[in-house]
Amino acid sequence: MRFDLLSRLRHRGTALLAATLAGLAMSSGALADTYEVKLPPELSSSPKMCDYAPCKDVMPGATSFSERKGQPPFVEAYKDEAGQKKLLGYVMLSTDITDTPAYSGKPVVTLIGMDTTGRFTGVKILKHSEPILLLGIPESALIKFNNQYLGQFVGDNIEIGKSRSEEHLIGLDAITGATVTVIAQNQVMMTSGSAVAKQVGILKPVIRPQAKFAATTAAPTWAQLVEDGSVQRLVVKAEEVGLKSDGRPYMDLWFGYLNQPTIGQAILGKDGYAGLMARLKEGEHAIFIIKTAGMDSFKGSGFVRGGIYDRVQVRQDSDSFTFRDLDYVNLWGVSAAGSPAFDESAIFIIRGKGFSGAFPWKLVFLGNKIDKETSTKTFANFDKEYWLDAKYLEGGRPVVIKPDPTWLKVWKERALEIGGFIAFLLVIAAAYASRDALVRRSSRHNKWPVNVFKYTGWVVSIGFVGFYAMAQPSITQVLTWFHSLLFQWKWELFLSDPLIFVFWIFIILSTFLWGRGLFCGWLCPFGSLSELLYKIGGAIGLKRFQFHLPQAVHDKLKWVKYAVFFGLLAVSFFSMGLAEKLAEVEPFKTTFLVGITNRSWPYSLFAAGLLGLAIFMERPFCKYLCPLGAALAMPTTFRWFGLRRKDECTSCKACAKGCGSLAIDTKGNIDQRECMLCLDCMVLYYDDHACPPLAQERKRRDKAGQPLTPINGKGYFIPIHPVPADTKKGAAA
Amino acid sequence: MSTDDIKHDDQTLVPGRRKFLNTAALAGLAGAGLSVGLSSCKQEAAPTAAAPAAAPAPAAHTAGAGDLNLHPAPGQLDTYYGVWSGGHSGEVRVLGLPSGREIKRVPTFNIDCMSGWGITNESKAIIGTKADGSLKYKTGDTHHIHGSYVDGTYDGKYFFVNDKIHGRIARVRGDIFECDKITEIPNIQGFHGIFPDKRDPVDQSINRTTRVFCGNEFHIPHPNDGRDMDDPTKYKTLFTCVDAETMEVRWQCRVDGNMDLVATSYNGRLAAANQYNVEGGAHYEDMMSAEKDACVFFDVARIEQAIKDGKFVTIGDSKVPVVDGTKDANKDPKTALTCYVPVPKNPHGVNASPDGKYFICSGKLSPTATVIELTKVEEFLDGKLDDLNKSIVAEVEIGLGPLHTTYDGRGNAFTTLFLDSQIVKWNIDAAIKFHAGDKAAKYVVDRIDVHYQPGHISADMGETKEAGGQFLAVGCKFSKDRFLPVGPLHPENEQLIDIRGEKMVMLADHPVYPEPHDFVIVKREKIKTRQVFNVDDFPLAIKDPKDSGVFRTGNKVTVKLVSQAPAYSLREFKVKKGDEVTLILTNLDKVEDLTHGFAIPKYDINFIVNPQETKSVTFKADKPGVYWCYCTHFCHALHLEMRTRMIVEK
Repeated sequence: MRFDLLSRLRHRGTALLAATLAGLAMSSGALADTYEVKLPPELSSSPKMCDYAPCKDVMPGATSFSERKGQPPFVEAYKDEAGQKKLLGYVMLSTDITDTPAYSGKPVVTLIGMDTTGRFTGVKILKHSEPILLLGIPESALIKFNNQYLGQFVGDNIEIGKSRSEEHLIGLDAITGATVTVIAQNQVMMTSGSAVAKQVGILKPVIRPQAKFAATTAAPTWAQLVEDGSVQRLVVKAEEVGLKSDGRPYMDLWFGYLNQPTIGQAILGKDGYAGLMARLKEGEHAIFIIKTAGMDSFKGSGFVRGGIYDRVQVRQDSDSFTFRDLDYVNLWGVSAAGSPAFDESAIFIIRGKGFSGAFPWKLVFLGNKIDKETSTKTFANFDKEYWLDAKYLEGGRPVVIKPDPTWLKVWKERALEIGGFIAFLLVIAAAYASRDALVRRSSRHNKWPVNVFKYTGWVVSIGFVGFYAMAQPSITQVLTWFHSLLFQWKWELFLSDPLIFVFWIFIILSTFLWGRGLFCGWLCPFGSLSELLYKIGGAIGLKRFQFHLPQAVHDKLKWVKYAVFFGLLAVSFFSMGLAEKLAEVEPFKTTFLVGITNRSWPYSLFAAGLLGLAIFMERPFCKYLCPLGAALAMPTTFRWFGLRRKDECTSCKACAKGCGSLAIDTKGNIDQRECMLCLDCMVLYYDDHACPPLAQERKRRDKAGQPLTPINGKGYFIPIHPVPADTKKGAAA
Repeated sequence: MSTDDIKHDDQTLVPGRRKFLNTAALAGLAGAGLSVGLSSCKQEAAPTAAAPAAAPAPAAHTAGAGDLNLHPAPGQLDTYYGVWSGGHSGEVRVLGLPSGREIKRVPTFNIDCMSGWGITNESKAIIGTKADGSLKYKTGDTHHIHGSYVDGTYDGKYFFVNDKIHGRIARVRGDIFECDKITEIPNIQGFHGIFPDKRDPVDQSINRTTRVFCGNEFHIPHPNDGRDMDDPTKYKTLFTCVDAETMEVRWQCRVDGNMDLVATSYNGRLAAANQYNVEGGAHYEDMMSAEKDACVFFDVARIEQAIKDGKFVTIGDSKVPVVDGTKDANKDPKTALTCYVPVPKNPHGVNASPDGKYFICSGKLSPTATVIELTKVEEFLDGKLDDLNKSIVAEVEIGLGPLHTTYDGRGNAFTTLFLDSQIVKWNIDAAIKFHAGDKAAKYVVDRIDVHYQPGHISADMGETKEAGGQFLAVGCKFSKDRFLPVGPLHPENEQLIDIRGEKMVMLADHPVYPEPHDFVIVKREKIKTRQVFNVDDFPLAIKDPKDSGVFRTGNKVTVKLVSQAPAYSLREFKVKKGDEVTLILTNLDKVEDLTHGFAIPKYDINFIVNPQETKSVTFKADKPGVYWCYCTHFCHALHLEMRTRMIVEK
């Protein structure tokens, strides 16, 4: 189809197209080569991590590396110096330490090097799933971003944004358009770095004030302990670790904190509690775990050989506490009334410095997920938060400032933009809602009362929403949405781009209220740009080159966009990655996110071609290709408020002629799925000089000397009915 | 008396069906040569016998044994520790109960080539050596074992056990279940019973074990250096007090008669020992001539005051102060150090009831149990009670050959009847009422046959004020036909009995290697064990592998080794023929359960070192050649490769 269109274009606008193409810079950004690459399974499981990862790239000068050690794991990097191995630093794989998801909802697998003083020596992305890096922002941008870490100290306060020396905050330059990705990346860098730095002693553990337990006389039952959160449950489903479910969970654990006397005595009994506390030294803490069901052991057998329990761990913020065999004490039984039967139990003693029972912590189950196809294992961690109820703490819970989740940071950072954008959307919606008033004020020759809003919408959309905020909605979001509905709904995923999030809420509401036209015709940055180009083209004298496809051709071609949409949707079920690549049928990324001059030539040519064509033909992309438009067109069928029509519209073709969207058929019906809500037909509807039935009536009344009554909501002059005199009087009174 | 169905019932496990036998047992006893002692059995005074005889078959125990967790599922743990003496095997054993699984043997007075007990220098020092460094004794007979107390119940800190043969007391640490001290008590023989005190008699604020009392059975000349050998009238016996912490002998008290078992009061004031042979006879017919023997009570605070006041002597080389507790020297109750409560006849066990009120003595040769009320004994010693006999609040017939008693904490006593081969459950309050004249009081609650001939008996926590009343173990001296035969030597049979209901229910037979005497059953919560040793607790510890090596002073050579799975720190070490070699091995592994062994072929050496533990051996390198020392205790996948060469150069 595209070629067919292009061939037509060649006749009319060869010169201009050539000029546009000439302006294109040939691409700088090669396809990001780490997008969804297949990493060797050993990378995340083999003790010899550096046999599978380019560790030397992030630790210049290193000649050998140790096996994975520690929990979370890392490797030591050595340099041969006069036959002696000298410790150079540490290399860690981000996914060993944190599974912070980036924009795609998947982690960016990053290899990080850090020297013995805690300064970053290298950062290398091994795998990412960020569509924006795939087809939009060049990988070099991320490399440039990552290079900002080199030489930085892991213990410093490093954040995205401006440096603020008074707050000892080191700022990093973000990548425009990939805010979420870099905020997540920063979290990955700092979490990974400090987890290792703490283990090797570069960073001192955070010393939290110890809890002062409130004295209570209560003897809570198991149910009460569960209710007030003193006992928490961590369930891992079989599917979550890649096993077939046989009805049992993979792991069903209950756990709690024992130092608090009320809870400890409820669980252990008075004697048991006293005995356990007698074992603990100052600053040591005990937790209990029981397994009430499950397919596997939470103790495993690693502790038999190496002395370390490798399946359970406690984390408090970024401090993790592992258990040795010597930290294990038998749990003889659970005293609390109504406690469930269990087949495995433990008391673990947290001996690491810095743990405090007053603050929230997490029990982490360190699982292995088995890939069904390859039966390779990858780490899969599951955790559950625990925080003593305020009544068990003297003075209640301490104030904990939790770092905002990535999405919230973005919302806070862009609050002004978001506010402005919402205001903008409301203004447009309000304008459209008062369209009757606006179109009545307009006429065939003066459409400004409508256009002032519409054109403002276009300009703001193109400039602010599109180019500045890069909030061009895309079919990929629809696909993601579909997948989320079917598989897993993650609010974070949708909240991570606030403007898009707000935009989508508006789009969904407006589509069901008025149809897709308000978004497509008034607010879509690319659509606005297309039509604006068309208008400008007309205004600067290219009108004679401008054309419409014949209605019959249009009526066939308009189905193409639906095919594109369903094609993408189908592909997305096989491969989201491929669907995202194919979604390049939308020239949005090229136009707004990256810039036409920054893409490789096929993309630039495509986008420029579509925009060039738009100068001569109203919205070619919107009419025939846009999968997003197709996706929105379907629910438009169920819009609440349609446009008005008159009986005469079935025979009168006046508005159909002027319809830029070619949305009015031969019978005068408006195809709301194609309609861009330009309101031209509605201007005519009330215009007694343009709407043929109205003009006829006006002329008739002029001739008959009858007054021109106001035009009613149905688009007619209010009829003049002769009435009996007395009634007339009454009415006049 | 019914005598009919004994044979039938001997073969059946149905508890309580067997009718009380009395004269039938007498007939059997005649052949055992014991009938002489039973002549006093008052057959006419056995009103209680009729009641159980008429007892119907017991209703099934509603609870059943299932909820006692008799057979723990794989991975499940027992709910009690059983701490067992091992008799003339010389050891102590730790069982899991109620499963009966043996968890550990604690070599004590014996030699054990698994652990190196009696082989390593450290264990030899505890056992005691002659001048040449060889062991003073290689034999021992552990008899009675009791735990240390805090507030009337076990604190899990220590278990004390005696050696009857050589008159020694050993202490087993409850945190590692290893023997850490052995003390030989001077001037005694036939050291039969011990009991720790429960509260300090002098300082009542110390509510825990500070002393262990020892009852001495055989009377001997003082000192036993060849004098008075042919004049048994000059033989004497001593009651001994040992300090629970230092394990030094604090004092001794000379008494009349031979002592066997010992009990202590919960308030700390009184210790008591059962006595037979108040006659002072040297042959058994003389020992059994008197109708009444005694339970001798000691006023501990008075004895210690007497020592403070200098009213003591010492015997021979011993520096231990000895006070005179004989009857003749203690006629005035108000100042008496001891008093003798008459008990018929050659009594055996004496056991304190969990409520702290009574000591119960068993008649052994009399079918009676004697209940002594402690406050009355104290009143007598305070001069407030004119007749010590009034402290006996019950003396009732319970069956033939009563020996030892345990309690369920609900007012019932369980006494082993050696001759009847039964356990009798009887109610103490009912017995007191009966004794006071209420002949309608039915004090015998139940009887159950055991297999065969029971000695000691112990219920869960039965020796503490926390007596649990769940189940009891009884040590049967003969197993006969209860286990697969393995030749003439039979194991003993330890039986478990459910005591939760009114009727006792037999739960299990367990074969045990001869010959446990006594045992205690301790709630698992009471025991707090170490997981690994502390390397700093060993003066010889080699804390850094780099400190390994061979160090020579003349012909004395010290070999310092550490073990870290799967290797010793020296791949080989050289000594010269004729050297006196001391080999020190520290196990630097910190992982729980990662114990290593060290064996030297042809040098008769093997021992183990637990994580963070240090041990040493000393031997003469008298055979030149290459000797592959290796790890005998499985430690690692490369356990077989864990070895080192001792090269003894000519």
